[in-house]
Order: sequence, then structure tokens, then C-alpha cells
Amino acid sequence: MSRLDNWVDYWSDLTRAEQGVTGSIALFAAVLLVGLVTGGLNPTYFLFLVGLAGMYALMSLGLNSQWGFSGLINFSVAAFFGIGAYGAALMTSDSAPILGGFDPILGLVVALSLAAVMAVLIGVPTLRLRADYLAIASLGLAEVVRLLVLNERQWTNGSGGVRGIPRFFDGWPVLSTFPQAMPGLEIVIILGSPIELGTPFYQMLLNISLVAIFVGASYLVLRRAHRSPWGRVLRTIRSDEDLARALGKNTYSFKMQSFVLGSVIMALAGVFYAHLNLFVSPGDLNPITTFYVWVAVILGGSGSNRGALFGGIVVVTIREGTRFLNEFAWIPFDTAPLRLLMIGVLIVLVMKFRPQGILPPQRELIWPDAIEGSETEPERHTNQQPGGDTNE
Amino acid sequence: MSVLELVANGLIFSSILVLGSIGLSLIYSIANFANFAHGDTMTVGAYSALVTFGAVGGLGGSVLGLPYGFFVALLVGAAMAAVVAIVTEKVVYESLDIGSIGLLITSIGIAFIYRGLIQIGFGADFTRFDIVALRPIEWLIPYGIRVTHHDVAIVISAAVLVGGLHVLLQYTDLGRKMRAMADNPDLARISGIRTKRITLWTWVIGAGLAGAGGVFLGLFNQLAPRMGFNLLLLIFAAVILGGIGSIYGAMLGGFLIGMISQLTPVLEMVGIPIGIEYSNAIAFVIMVVVLLVRPTGIAGEAT
Amino acid sequence: MVDDIKRKLNRRNLIKASGVAGITAFAGCISTSDDDSGDGDGGEGSDGSDSGGDESGPYSIGMVDSLTGSLSAFGERNQRGKDLALGRVNELGINGQDLDIIVEDSGSENQGGISAAQKLVNQDSVPFLIGAVGSGVSIAIYESVIQETDVVQLSQNSTGLNLTDFPGLLRMSPTGRAQSLALANIIADDGYDSVALTYVNNDFGQSLTDAFVDAWDGEIAYNSAHDQEQSSYSSVMSEMNNSGADAWLFITYQAEFTTMVNEAFSSGYEAQFYGADSAQGSGVLEGTPEGSMEGMKITLPSAPIEQENYQAFASAFEEEYGQEPTSWAAYAYDCVINAALAIQAADEFTGAALQETVGRSHDHRASKCRPSRMRMRSSPTAGGPRTSTTRASVARSTSMRMAIRSASYRS
Repeated sequence: MSRLDNWVDYWSDLTRAEQGVTGSIALFAAVLLVGLVTGGLNPTYFLFLVGLAGMYALMSLGLNSQWGFSGLINFSVAAFFGIGAYGAALMTSDSAPILGGFDPILGLVVALSLAAVMAVLIGVPTLRLRADYLAIASLGLAEVVRLLVLNERQWTNGSGGVRGIPRFFDGWPVLSTFPQAMPGLEIVIILGSPIELGTPFYQMLLNISLVAIFVGASYLVLRRAHRSPWGRVLRTIRSDEDLARALGKNTYSFKMQSFVLGSVIMALAGVFYAHLNLFVSPGDLNPITTFYVWVAVILGGSGSNRGALFGGIVVVTIREGTRFLNEFAWIPFDTAPLRLLMIGVLIVLVMKFRPQGILPPQRELIWPDAIEGSETEPERHTNQQPGGDTNE
Repeated sequence: MSVLELVANGLIFSSILVLGSIGLSLIYSIANFANFAHGDTMTVGAYSALVTFGAVGGLGGSVLGLPYGFFVALLVGAAMAAVVAIVTEKVVYESLDIGSIGLLITSIGIAFIYRGLIQIGFGADFTRFDIVALRPIEWLIPYGIRVTHHDVAIVISAAVLVGGLHVLLQYTDLGRKMRAMADNPDLARISGIRTKRITLWTWVIGAGLAGAGGVFLGLFNQLAPRMGFNLLLLIFAAVILGGIGSIYGAMLGGFLIGMISQLTPVLEMVGIPIGIEYSNAIAFVIMVVVLLVRPTGIAGEAT
Repeated sequence: MVDDIKRKLNRRNLIKASGVAGITAFAGCISTSDDDSGDGDGGEGSDGSDSGGDESGPYSIGMVDSLTGSLSAFGERNQRGKDLALGRVNELGINGQDLDIIVEDSGSENQGGISAAQKLVNQDSVPFLIGAVGSGVSIAIYESVIQETDVVQLSQNSTGLNLTDFPGLLRMSPTGRAQSLALANIIADDGYDSVALTYVNNDFGQSLTDAFVDAWDGEIAYNSAHDQEQSSYSSVMSEMNNSGADAWLFITYQAEFTTMVNEAFSSGYEAQFYGADSAQGSGVLEGTPEGSMEGMKITLPSAPIEQENYQAFASAFEEEYGQEPTSWAAYAYDCVINAALAIQAADEFTGAALQETVGRSHDHRASKCRPSRMRMRSSPTAGGPRTSTTRASVARSTSMRMAIRSASYRS
């Protein structure tokens, strides 16, 4: 079979949703490319947005691991994100009220361990509760964490925040001077609009590689974990906890493990954030972040890792893309509450017309071993989430 | 500063919380999801009352320091909140069949919509009802209690509304059907109860109480587009503490959470060095502790 | 099979060849900008040399403002001041061009502020950034975005003390230190030796309180933070009453202060109130009962209202918006005027050039606030809302002179 036939087959094999998503992603990418090439979209800013999207994608991956795979409704995302950020900040910043001055790698380790410990502390009282109680209890405990960070000035410098955080790759032999060492480039693809790549661009490139490493590592770890027997048990717990218990599994322990894993990934996002912005403050633990990550997961498709990635990208697009609305000054309303309104409308529309998300898990939930060696390939339209379409 | 004074403050704050938490618990037990837009429903009620009061004025005469026009505005506020809730239910929630978590997420979207619209319409700045403020009641001051007639009005009105709800639930047909639905919706449907209609009525009552709570919150404090959302977490804590599925649990929960958040200064009085900046945190921690011991809340039913 | 391989090889070669061709073609478009703009360490990728208008198009500068979130009231006032200034500037034009201000919302949050600044600095390539409202947000923007570039940052409203630690971060509003010192002096002069104070729990509140605590000689009977946007502050008021101090100091915003005054009033508490500038405004006056703040003293950096150019500004503002300007609107106005003057005086529309000229036309670096330049001067009550003035001459700027004065509420 020639390669072209392969591609055609592959395309028709996708569900309509996947075709739509692939198509719109391709279109979106094309628009971005055009913007970059013509100089309309600055590459440094573009990379910054990619970094933000990566950050949200990380948090979505973590939440998806808790909600999509284990059915845990966790509303304390912001707290873990904040602990990751503060852990890294307090360990590495020179002007931190405690600790400080350590290597960012050590900061990473400490931040993740702190998140794991906090996950256990939050999980112990809440994981035995029924689903919606877990939601509110986790939200309340996240607020407790935020208030602690805000008020214990001797540990966290309170509302002044922690500044002077070094970049992650500071102190590495080649990478720390990479941005300054690279030559400034000026690319002229279309005459008249040069694209300048200078030190800020290379710095941002380093940041992006960091988040790419984090996202890649988390994605691989999660994929492995969810295809393992461990993941299978979690899936059973999600659909029917009593059944899992009847089969002799200690559901509480499994749920705790999944909770900790997801929380550590969220903390990873926080560590990246600290080294991206070089400044953390208690405002970063605001519960609104939790809501945005939930929107990302629901929009992307619960239970699907690539859906989580997609959701993260969409959320950043909405949050930052609406800034460009300012260009349209003829709108009679303030753009800021308008953005709030639009996000609300978007959520409602998605829930009304596509509640399983844009990219619900399909074949990714089937073990590859089960397919290899079988004569027929399973249909792609498996594992529909309840509600919404039945005949897709 | 006497403990009595703190208790009195707690009572007033609790009244507002109770109005919110009962409404939320009602909706929770019948529509079966945690309505994150409940706080912003309170905001809707408050702003409707603001507009009404501005249009109607004092209407001569007053009781407990509140002009008659205010009570008219109160009714309009509650009614508007109910109307908005019904419209939302009809347009959005009714046709959704996605389970309680999906509805929860949807309600987050609805909350954003309410808040965005109010901010577009009224701006971000805070405002107050045009009612003259009062001094504390003279004969209570020697006891260390400092409340004004407005506060008394809030407590009495809340008590009246809650009492009315109790009567409704226990002694009327509608109340019986509502309790039946909350208990076992399928059985209720089989026995001929028109669940859709009952659901609508629940929304009316729940949102109406929330709207009234919002008006009182505006009177007690001030009006701002985020006023309801800021209270939402405490209301949720109250509902969870009291136990989902039980209206009386919600009342108890609202009362407790309100008292706890106002009584925090007592801790320092007895030597525990936790400042009042942690009063919300203490309320949540207590809620979690209670849940550890009784995972369904104080008066909740086991699922 | 052999054909397959041949086809595959051909395809592979084709892809390789086109890749190489593409790169060589591309390479023709690439040149290092090291020679022209000296990209070495300066990080001048955001020089703004593209979007600034030399011959064509308006001069674009950026503004980060709190259009939503907890500080959105300030954002609204800033926008009014900025619009008024923009109108005036564009009546005259700068070197024949218009001034354009791109406004981005920080959402009163650090992350929002940083994203806004990233867009303005990198995407819109502005060489001049007016921002932000919250002190924490301004510092976050500076540390994260501005520090490594040449862009001029001028904060319109941040009064937190920590901004002084960043010499590259300019501000129009004076540092809160002068206010805290003035407050300490005023309260002491009024004969109180014990004060109960409460402050809003953010960078602004904390830093002003720290400065006050440093400057205050007497006893601090009560010192506690409170969160923004709470429904009730009755515990705070009860505790302040319980502390036994007769002087109460409020370092907080209007909404919170209104709640507190009302609660004090309805609990029958009596004390001498003092406040920072953020606690006063028309919202407070409208929202509090008559006589509840009798004799309260506030330090506020305000325009010397006797000065002609301020009066011109105030009347223009009232004409346009039907209300008196707040000092916040005045700061924002001043920021825009300053930017316009700096642009006019500069050789080119780049960050580096503007750093020079903004220093010349506006000597308002935070580090230059010296309390030693405070002079006590009392003048008799003029019947209006302001009584004895303590004037601290902080700096000159083009349209307003900053002054610290104490004002009393007469209600």
C-alpha cells in the first residue's frame, strides 16, 4: 500500500469529532504559522503562550489522572500548583525567608515531595467521602492552604511574594549562557517585516524545552500507568467502586495513590511556573485556576490524556486570545467582564452539545496487546461516555 | 468585647448564610447537583432589589428602620432571582442528561454568565442601598450586645422565611411532594407526582430564598458583583456540614458555620494563638473534621 | 518490492533535497542582527523599532490596568484619567503623530499582569509600559518581563514600599513610606500613644503597615490583617474596640473601609479614625452614615489644588465625566502626559532612549522620596473638607505636584 493510501484510510477511520479536531488544529496551526512568518505574531510571545499552554496541559493531565481515570473530584488543583511553585521558589530564591539558594533540581525534588505529602494530608480526610463532598472538602482545604501561605509571613513572606527565583537552567554549564551566547538573528521571509530572534527568544526557548520535558515525561508516565493493571483497577473503581471492593481491592489505597500521582504532576506545573515568571505570590493559589483547569479537562474529554492536552491549549487560547478583542474597540461593552461572560457561555455550550468533551478517550483505552494478533480491529467508536450522543 | 456580642454578630451573619444554604440544599436534594451559581443568584436578587428600591423609594413609613419600599424591593429581588433560576433551568439544565458532575461544571459556567452580566450592567464598583444607617439598640448595650434594628430585621425576616419553609414542607401538599422527591425520585414519579413541576417549584423556592439572602447581604454589608461568589464557599461548607438531603441539616450547618466564623476571636481570648484572618480556614477545618467522624454530614442520610 | 524500495528511496531523497533547498533559501533571509542592534546582552529584541511610528502610524505604548478583579474600581478610575490625557495629547500631537495606548487587563492578579506585560512587550513591542495597579502585580511584571529588557515601566497606582528596591521600576504614585511616616507623626501629634491598626492583606497593606510600625514610637495595641472582599469585618471591629486604644488606623481600600465604618457605627464604637489614602473616596462618603467618620484624618497624596494646571485638569475631568477626579485618575493622567513628553524629547522611539528622557521630564523615582523634605504647616480651617496640611514636597512632575497632606472628614 502506498503511503498516501495509508493516510486516506487513517483519515476515514477517525471519528467525525477527531476529524473536526484535527482539521481545526491544522487550521489553527496554519494561522499561527502565517502570523509568525509575516511578523504579525511575535515568536517570543508565541513561545510564552506555548509555555502557558504547557502549564495548563500539565495541570489538566494531573487532574485527568484523578478525575478521568479514578473518578476523584478534586477541587484543590490550585493548592498543589501553588505548593509546587512555592516549594521551588523557597528552595532556590536568594531572597526567600527560609531556605533558599539551592539548586533548582533540588528545588524540584523538594517541591514534588512537599506536594506528595500534602496530597496525603488532604486525601486522608476526603477520599472516603462521596464524590460531591470530596469536591467541596478539597476546595475548602485548598483555601486553608492558601490562607496559610498568605498569612505565615515568616515562612512565605506573605503577600509580598517570593522573588529573585533563578531560571531553571542557571548553573548548568552550557544552557545557562545559551540565550546570551546565541547570535541574534533577523529573519526576513516577507520583505518589510523582519522577525527578530534575540536573547529573550532564546530564553523563552529554554523555558519551553523545560515544560516540554515535563509534559512529555508526565504523559509517558501516565500512559504507562493507565495501561498497567494498576490503571485497570482505577478504571474499575471509577465505574463501580463496590465492584472493585467486592473483587478484593483496597479501593482507598488505590485512590490515594492516584490522588498523589495527579497532585505531583500539578506541582510540576507549579515548579515550571516559578522558573518562568521568577516571582510567586499567594495570589497564584486563587481557586479560579482550579476552575479553569476543570474547564480544560471537561472540554478536552475526561479520561483522555490527549484530551487534557487539547483542553489546556484551548483554555490558554481563550484566556489570552480574548486580549486581542481589544483591537475591536467598537464593542460597546468592557472586554473584561465580556470575557467572563464568553467563558461561561462556552462552558454551557460545551456541556449542552458535547458533554463528553471534544476528544473523549477512544482506542487509547484499549491495550495494544489486545489488538495485536487479533483478526479484526475494534471499531473506533468505543467507550462512549454516558449522556450526549449515542450513535456517533 | 463580650462573648455575647460575638454571638449576636454570629446570629446575624448566620441568618444570611442560612438563607443561602437552605436554598442550595433544596436544589441539591431535588435537582441533584451542587449549584455553583447559587452565590451569583444571591447577587442577582440583591441587584434587582437595588434597582427596585431606587425606582420605588421609601413609600412612606418604615418598620425596624427599614422603609416599606425596602420590603417591596426584597420581594422583587427574591422574585427576580427565582425567575432567573427558572429560565436557566428551562433553557439549560432541564435538557442536560450528564450526571451531577456535568451539571456542576455547567453551573460554574452559569455563574460566570450571571456575574459577567451584572458587571457589564452595573460596573465593578461597590454600592449600597440608600437606607439611613442606625445606631445600636440602647437597652442592649449594657449586656454587651451591639445590634441595630436592621440586624434585628434581618434575623426576624430570616426566621420568618425559614419558618414558612418549614410549614410548607411539613403541612402542605407541595412540601410533601418535595420531600418525597428528595427521598426517592423514581418512587415519587411512579406514585404520580409530577416531578418536573415539583422541580420547578423547588427552583423557585431555593432561588427565591437565595435572592432574599442576597438582599439582606446587601443591606448588612454592601453590593458588588462578586458579593455572592465570595460567600459561596462558606455556604457550601454549611450545606456539607449539615448534610446533603436534609433541609434542617442545612439550617443547622448555616447556623454553625456563621457562628464559627464570627466567634474566632474567642480563640485568642482563651489563649490559642490563631488570628481572625484564619476564621474561614477554621470553618473549613471544622467541616472536614466533622466529615471524618460523620461522612454524610450531621443530619445527612447515608447513600 | 524493489520498486517499492526505489519509490521509497526516491521519496526520501526528495524530502531530503527539498529540506536542504528550503534551508538554503531560508538562510538567504536570515541575517544576524548582532551588528545592527547589538543584541549581545542587552536583549533588545523588544526595542519597539517596528511598531513605533517614525514616519507612519501612531506611537504605541502599553498600559496594564486592573479592569477586572478585586482592584477593578481603580482600573475604572485610571481609564478615565488616561482617556482624558490621551484626548489632550492627541489634540496637539507628538511630532505630528498621534499617541496610541494599548490597554491590557491584569485581572488584579500577578499571572494576569505578567501575561499582559508579555503581550505588550513582546507582541506589541512597546518601549514604554504604564503598569500596574497592585504593588505585587507591578513587581511581578518587573521581575518577570521588564527587568531583562529596555522597556520603561511606570506604575500608575502602586504605593507599596517594595517597589523602591527596584531602581528600574518607576512610579507616579508616591511610595507609601511617606504616608506611613506622616500618619505616625499625625497620630503622635494628636496626643495618642497607643494605636489599633488593621490592614488589607496584600503587598500594599503589608508594606505600609511595616513602615508605620517602624516609624511609630508608641504602643501598638492591635495589629491584624484582613482579607479583601469579605462580607463582614465585625470581628476585626470588635477586637479593635477591645484593644483599648483610642486611635484606630485603617490601611485598606474603600469597599472594605465602608463596611468597617458601618459596622463600627452600628455597634456604637467610638474612636478617632485614621486612614491611608486608599481608604477615602466618594464611595466611602456615599456609603457611610453622617457623622460616622467625624474628625477622621487621612494622609493622601493629592494635587495641590491651588495650582493652576491641576485646576485645569480637574475642571476638564468634571466636564467630561461629571464627577470630581480621584487622585488615581490624576496619576494615570500624569503617566500618559509623561510618556508623551518623554517620546517627544527622545531621539528615537526605543526603550533605551526613553529611559533617558523620562528621567529628565519626571524626577519621580521611588527611591527619591525623602521624608526629610517634609515640612509642617498648619493653616486654619477653610470650611472645606481639608484642614491642617503637612506638605511633603516629593518631586516635580509636569502637570501636578505631589504633596502629602492630611485631610479630615467633616460629615
